[in-house]
Amino acid sequence: MITSFTNRGLIAAASREADPQVAAHALAAELCHEHAGFVLFFCSAEYPLDRLADALCQAFGELPVSGCTTAGELTPDGYDRGSIVAISFDRRFFAVETALIDDLDHFDLPVAQPLVDALLERCRRQAVAPVNEHSFALTLLDGLSSREEQVLATLDAALGRIPSFGGSAGDDNHLTHTHVYANGRFHTRAAVVVMMNTRLPFDVFSTHHLEPLEHKLVVTGADRERRRVLELNGVPAAELYAALVGCPVEALAPAVFARHPLAVHLGGQHYVRSIQRVNDDGSLSFYCAVENGIVLTAMQPTPLLDDLARMLQRLEARLGEPAAIIGCDCFLRRMALESLDQLDQASALLRRARVVGFNTYGEQHHGMHVNQTFTGVAFGTLPAL
Amino acid sequence: MAALREENRRLRIVCTALMERVEAGGAPNGAPYAAFERSVLLAEQVRERTDALHRTLDELSQVNARLLAAHADAQAANESKTKFLAAVSHDLLQPLNAARLFASALEAHALPAASQALVGHIGRSLKDVEGLLGTLVDISRLDAGVLHADKAPFAVNTLLDALAEEYRQVAGVRGLSLHYVPSLVWVESDLALLARVVRNFLSNAVRYTEHGHLLLGCRRRRDGLEIMVGDTGPGIPEPQRQAIFLEFRRASQPQANQSRGLGLGLAIVDRISTMLGHPVRLASRLGHGSLFSILVPYADIGEDSAAPSRTSIEWDDDPLQGCVVWVVDDDPAITEGMQALLGSWGCRVRAAATVSALEAASDGERPAVLLVDYHLGDHRENGIDLAARLRRRYPGLAAVVITANHEAAVKRATREAGIHCLLKPLKPLRLKMLLGTLLESR
Repeated sequence: MITSFTNRGLIAAASREADPQVAAHALAAELCHEHAGFVLFFCSAEYPLDRLADALCQAFGELPVSGCTTAGELTPDGYDRGSIVAISFDRRFFAVETALIDDLDHFDLPVAQPLVDALLERCRRQAVAPVNEHSFALTLLDGLSSREEQVLATLDAALGRIPSFGGSAGDDNHLTHTHVYANGRFHTRAAVVVMMNTRLPFDVFSTHHLEPLEHKLVVTGADRERRRVLELNGVPAAELYAALVGCPVEALAPAVFARHPLAVHLGGQHYVRSIQRVNDDGSLSFYCAVENGIVLTAMQPTPLLDDLARMLQRLEARLGEPAAIIGCDCFLRRMALESLDQLDQASALLRRARVVGFNTYGEQHHGMHVNQTFTGVAFGTLPAL
Repeated sequence: MAALREENRRLRIVCTALMERVEAGGAPNGAPYAAFERSVLLAEQVRERTDALHRTLDELSQVNARLLAAHADAQAANESKTKFLAAVSHDLLQPLNAARLFASALEAHALPAASQALVGHIGRSLKDVEGLLGTLVDISRLDAGVLHADKAPFAVNTLLDALAEEYRQVAGVRGLSLHYVPSLVWVESDLALLARVVRNFLSNAVRYTEHGHLLLGCRRRRDGLEIMVGDTGPGIPEPQRQAIFLEFRRASQPQANQSRGLGLGLAIVDRISTMLGHPVRLASRLGHGSLFSILVPYADIGEDSAAPSRTSIEWDDDPLQGCVVWVVDDDPAITEGMQALLGSWGCRVRAAATVSALEAASDGERPAVLLVDYHLGDHRENGIDLAARLRRRYPGLAAVVITANHEAAVKRATREAGIHCLLKPLKPLRLKMLLGTLLESR
């Protein structure tokens, strides 16, 4: 089954076909046209990835394709699972250039700056729009690499004033293998940087529906390499967290983490640090960097749908009716919606706003690795150039 | 009590963790959380600074744009200065040319001795003005880069014979003798520019030498022919040998009766030699004299054409006598002056502004030589085209285009059309020699 929309040089389509060949060719039939310049896709980690890679190469030929695996897809119909969603960019509206970073451990500024400069230069040569003020970077990271913070901080320094956002690839909550796709292959421990330069008005945004409570927890034991908090307030982490949220340690699961997030308070803002799982030793694994001595604030959710609707309204007020929105939606938000039985309502909102994207293991916004947000870019229909 | 002890233990741990964190806070380390924290702080602070920086950059680029505009203005001003000088010189050269022609014609008349001397003074003064003007124009042209070398092979005696003749007389007036050693070697250079250099050497030699003699000659060197001008003047002290090649410098204060020139001569020599790529050399001994030379590359020509063409004029059988010369110039003062000058040499002159006027006045007479001004007014054909047209009508007609346009392109065009070219201000002697050559070879 294919669902799709077309607007301002953007075509989005999704397929639920399990067979990689059928899915890839169905998408190509929708997305390919003489002016197509780039295709971005998000696929369920259930696909046999080697075969999917081959099928994509075959179906799209010379057309550059980038993407990543997900913990759920946002299709033109809304939330979905086990599918592949893709969006193609018309080169008359978009200059798109991509780079694969396959050595995350040695990605420092001397590597990052030439990489960014080369991407911008290649965009500039296509003369679609001035590079200043009309470009942004989309990053897709291996969500289990534990290198997001350093890579993003470095990349952000190299990007300077160019806005950036992105998501960490997921694997349907298995937490074993997440992949990014570039140059015709899926990669682990890698990142894809997509530089987009466009004539359309756009806005890079990030929102969340959480607010702080009184409780503060101090990390008194951490394993920074494995992103684990061993102790909170001098007590085994899982034990203290369970006591805080009022449920037994055995009952701790993603749905609980989604309802009772923790955040750090920095520079007047709260940044959610999402819990990934409880370990046997009573420690908590996180989706992002942790450190001994950081202070975590207990957070509580406000109505997610209200926050999402407000965000989409703000975007529409600024850019006109959206041509499309690429969204990186934390998979914990999806779990929260599922547990509240609000997934269909959310899908309706996303569908109307022409959102395509995926559920992430973390989002990226201006060089910050954040959790439990809805982050993305909205393309408007108001004339910009 | 146990609970309190436990509470105390936890608080100690929390305190320790916080203290560690606080103390590690400022230290730069590669920890992932630190990177995140830095990104947040970047978002708060550095972004502001980045914006400030970008504002500064924007201001700078505006300043830059203004500077560029100012630079463009300056360039335009410089260009317009050059154009102005070219225009002024053209407008000044025209009447000066006419005046020189009249003065020359007047000299040929039988006049009382006193008047003859006055006419001579007028002629020399006009020549000085002309020289100065030419020098100023050349300097501005050289500096503006609008003067381009037009190199061609020629026998060096075609240049030096005429100069020797000219300066033998000038030297004679000052009680000096000129020793000239002719050479038949072919060299490759821009004849007019090289002439300017050697002429400068010679004028300087005449100007600064009180007694003795001048030397004009050549020496064969491995990489070219060295054209030398020597004198028995006061010599130039070592410290001044560089400085004299700058504008407005002279080695020593000249006598009252020789206070001519602005000291621009060697500045021009320096510029021309740089442009032609011909090195200039100066040797001097105080109290004994100076030797200026320029090294000119040999012409790359076959043995056949190496045979030098003699340009010495046989005055016994004057070919100018009775020959028909047509002059086309849109300036009536010039046509009148040419008529007077050429008439004094025995030519039968028909001068007019247009060909039709000439033909109407010529009674079907065939012209032997055509002298035509290059610039015949804005909406008319130029002198080269007119000469080509007339040469088709009168095969064998020798044509000379006279122009105040010193650009190499005009010279090249005339050469390609097989027409001779003389530059304004017109030198009567050179015109006479050229006419002699043209008529002899018919």
